[in-house]
Amino acid sequence: MSEKTETKKYSSKSRNALIGKIILYAILILITIVMIIPFLWMLSASIKSDREVFQMNPFVWIPEVPKWDNYIKIWTKIPMLKFVENTVFLTIVVTLLQLLTSSFAAYSFAKLEFKHKNTLFLAYIATIAMPWQVYMVPQFIMMRAMGLNDKLLAMICLQAFSAFGVFMMKQFYEGIPSELCEAARIDGMSEYKIYAKIMLPLSKPALSTLTIFTFVSTWNDYLGPLIYLKTESKKTIQLGLKMFIGQYSSEYGLIMAGSVLSLIPVIIVFLCLQKYFVEGVASTGLKG
Amino acid sequence: MKKKVISVLLTATMLAGLLAGCGSNGDTAPAADNAADTTQTADTAPADNAQTDTAPADTAAEPAADAGTDAGEAVTLKWAIWDKDTTPYWQALKDAYEAANPNVTLEMVDLGSADYMTVLATELSGSGSDFDVVTIKDVPGYATLVSKNTLEPLDSYISAAGIDLSQYGGVDAQITVNGSLYELPFRNDFWVVFYNKDIFDAAGVDYPTNDMTFEEYDALARQVADPTFGSQIYGTHYHTWRSAVQLFGVLDGQHSILDGEYDYFKPYYEMVLNQEADQICRNYADLSAEGLHYSAAFSGGDVAMMNMGSWFISTLISNIANGEYDASLCGNWGMVKYPHADGVEAGSTLGTITGLSVTSVSDNKDEAFKFVEWVSGAEGAKVMAETGNFPALMNDEVSGIISGMEGFPTDAESKEALNVSNLYLEVPYAENVSEINDILDTYHKSIMNQEMTIDEGIAKMNEEVGKVLGQ
Amino acid sequence: MDEKKAAQVEKLEQESAVLMQKIREETDIKKKRKLIAEREKKQRKITAIRNNRIISREAKRDLIAYSFIAPNFIGFAVFTLIPIVFAFLLAFMDWDGSNAITFVGLKNFIKLPSDTFFVAALKNTIIYVVGTVPLTMIASLALAIVLNQKVRARGFFRTVAFFPYVASLVAITAVWSMIFHPSKGPVNYLLLTVFGVAQENLPKWFSGNLVLVTLILFSVWKYMGYYMVIYLAGLQGISAELYEAGSLDGANTWQKFKYITWPQLRSTTFFVVVMLTINCFKVYDIAVMLAGGGDGKLSTSATVLVYYIYQNAFNYWDLGYSSAIAMVLFLIVLVVTLIQFRYEKNLDA
Repeated sequence: MSEKTETKKYSSKSRNALIGKIILYAILILITIVMIIPFLWMLSASIKSDREVFQMNPFVWIPEVPKWDNYIKIWTKIPMLKFVENTVFLTIVVTLLQLLTSSFAAYSFAKLEFKHKNTLFLAYIATIAMPWQVYMVPQFIMMRAMGLNDKLLAMICLQAFSAFGVFMMKQFYEGIPSELCEAARIDGMSEYKIYAKIMLPLSKPALSTLTIFTFVSTWNDYLGPLIYLKTESKKTIQLGLKMFIGQYSSEYGLIMAGSVLSLIPVIIVFLCLQKYFVEGVASTGLKG
Repeated sequence: MKKKVISVLLTATMLAGLLAGCGSNGDTAPAADNAADTTQTADTAPADNAQTDTAPADTAAEPAADAGTDAGEAVTLKWAIWDKDTTPYWQALKDAYEAANPNVTLEMVDLGSADYMTVLATELSGSGSDFDVVTIKDVPGYATLVSKNTLEPLDSYISAAGIDLSQYGGVDAQITVNGSLYELPFRNDFWVVFYNKDIFDAAGVDYPTNDMTFEEYDALARQVADPTFGSQIYGTHYHTWRSAVQLFGVLDGQHSILDGEYDYFKPYYEMVLNQEADQICRNYADLSAEGLHYSAAFSGGDVAMMNMGSWFISTLISNIANGEYDASLCGNWGMVKYPHADGVEAGSTLGTITGLSVTSVSDNKDEAFKFVEWVSGAEGAKVMAETGNFPALMNDEVSGIISGMEGFPTDAESKEALNVSNLYLEVPYAENVSEINDILDTYHKSIMNQEMTIDEGIAKMNEEVGKVLGQ
Repeated sequence: MDEKKAAQVEKLEQESAVLMQKIREETDIKKKRKLIAEREKKQRKITAIRNNRIISREAKRDLIAYSFIAPNFIGFAVFTLIPIVFAFLLAFMDWDGSNAITFVGLKNFIKLPSDTFFVAALKNTIIYVVGTVPLTMIASLALAIVLNQKVRARGFFRTVAFFPYVASLVAITAVWSMIFHPSKGPVNYLLLTVFGVAQENLPKWFSGNLVLVTLILFSVWKYMGYYMVIYLAGLQGISAELYEAGSLDGANTWQKFKYITWPQLRSTTFFVVVMLTINCFKVYDIAVMLAGGGDGKLSTSATVLVYYIYQNAFNYWDLGYSSAIAMVLFLIVLVVTLIQFRYEKNLDA
């Protein structure tokens, strides 16, 4: 009797589990479709002619005659190469500076005792909640007075020293036991050496996370370059793409080809670093 | 937690207070500099003029080439322009002027066309700019630059050089600021109706003419349009700019966009929205969503008529010639004058001028003005016409050059369409013209997107512009 | 130790003794503390001189610490702190960027309530925030919970969910405006053919009242992957024992969520909501790219605060007014953040 109910319970449980699994996968697949369809559309449209893009009946993902030359034409229609160059340069310099200076400062905040530590750190914290847009105008006026208007250097100054990076790295370093540093100090290691030899090698997840954040936001930034970079030879890929859309609004295939190209670098960086990503977010205390 | 927040705030404000000391020093310093700069230039300007009073008079008497060699010393003028690669006349003007004035070198700086006036205003604000001559693309931008004291008033130069302003056909009056002129126009575009002859032929409908009322124009558009799905032909096409719809209203010469009273827009909004509802023209919401460029619309071969500025002539000719546009779709085109309201003479149209200004920080104001004078004068006009563009200084010779260009429609009507009787600037000068312009743009969008009825939109225009004018 | 130093030490010791006396006599605790601190300072100086050191150990320690901070802090101070202070001041000024600055007091702020475009921008921004924050939070939490299960190809699904966040806005808004194109796009095509919506009733996604809905949907789609990662990190911090205990007590999935997951994720949720709110108030590029049409201008149905800040600064050159609007933006963000902090604190108590 009791055994019977037990098996019944068990079988209904496993059935429930099965239904649960099915629902789970159904949801997952649905989400994936919603998330990925725009990208598939982009890929598909990038090899279509302008007329085929909106052809619904019949709708095909790959046209009979794929127009691969969209990917060649885009380089000559606009100075795409220059845009890519500028963006790559900016993104790499900003990311490196951000990683270096933030982790440097964060080490000090996390592991050293010094005068005015709290005041200085609060200055950082107070600005995290301050949208950049609040002070973008005065910042621009200041940069212009410094002769940085229309210079890539302006974008570097603007993006390389964020409060966010310091905050994130500090949270991470606080999670590393201080005994490690103490032991090294007793061994007579200088602080710089401790930072370089002990802390940096340990901070891979945090650095990867910060790299993704910085890389993505610099690569994709629009308003900053819009305000600072004026001449065509200084523009970034986002500005260039937007300009192209304005000029050749109906050349959908080309627009999409340009868009695909602009996505490739970020996606590569993300795929390379993503295995550290969740771990990085978890260990930097970003979760709150 | 609360304590922490409060301490954050406290330190933030303290820091702010602390930095305010050095911050405000830093801030006011450039401003003070600027003020000093402007007063300085204001002081020296008359002196400059006094010195040079004779110089321009001299050059006026002598041929320009001699004047150049006379002056002798080498001068480099930095000149702000846009889209060097796609706009042929910059290089042509430079080459011609440098050939006539061997001592002058023109250094062109391309600021791009997208936000040209914004970029220029940024460049000229504050210290550090070294432009001598700047191109003025639109009137709102011009108003901004004038109010920022970045442009040099040209009156004394103009009178010294003895330039007859009447040659610009009254346009100068629409850009005069408190009695002074800060730019000289060198390019003057006016709006016409482009049409695709093949579409009219296929529909068996007569071509539009140089003397159409709006009723006739509307009827013609409806006659030639074909809403059949798949082979749709649009009778008209209105680009998303407000000028393309609203400004039909100013052609009677009794209204201006500076009035603050816009009820006269109403019949034209009704006409266009009715056409839209009957699928005579493309839907504004669609156009706006895809950001369709007017050139793409016309060259696509499904638009019978499109009102657009005369700048499109040279674009059409060159792009059909080089195969960028499919000649089988739009190669057989013509143009006629703007339609007109009942009881108004044909030939009134909208105009957009492009001008040149001398900056107030230029070290070579005299040389800079000589260049401005040359470009906006007869010789510059010829160069402009030869590149297929309309100089501000229009005469029969100039329109002859343009209508004689390879690729220009050969019918008499199209040639006649170049003769303009009255030209009203799309945006004449007023102090707050930027704001007015934006208000009209905004509600134009709302009306065309049908977020508001025509009456609501116009009421809002009246109200908001009223606020600006009342300030 | 030479005589000069000896004299110095003697003087310091005397002063220190005087202070000691004062400390004994002082009754007010606060003043007493101050005196003690003063005396300690003197004592430190004495030891420093006695040990013949030019820089005290503390000073050296501070210098090393500062050398770590300096590269970032100098850049941060120059390019962020100073402009922030400047922004505060500018809100009370009248300046066009070229002519002299004049102080105008509260004039810029007084003008705000009667400015139709400011009011519209404020209203739209608030609607956008109110729509986006809860939806994104719910979507990202749901996504995180699903992707925290043991499923096949979990890495793949996570990557896909994160894709939109990584993708460039310009590119992805171009795709959206094609997919949601009012008369040609596949979404409306489906509505027309499959759901039988009449042609004239097809939604115009980028104008009128719908434009804010489109903006909200887009934002949720684009940013939920990012917040999902934060939630995933939070979920991994919940110990499995809690769930085991829950199972033993016979809790079902919903109960487990309600009594274990949700309370355990409270600080994560707090962080997510704060970040979301701040980021949503900053909305600009999404609006301009989706609703701006060819010329990037926004009508009153889609205008947002940052757009109006930009417009006033770079088109009208009314820098004071644009800063005043920026201050309003800042104050709103600050107040909302403080309220959230308070709420969080109340829950703590």
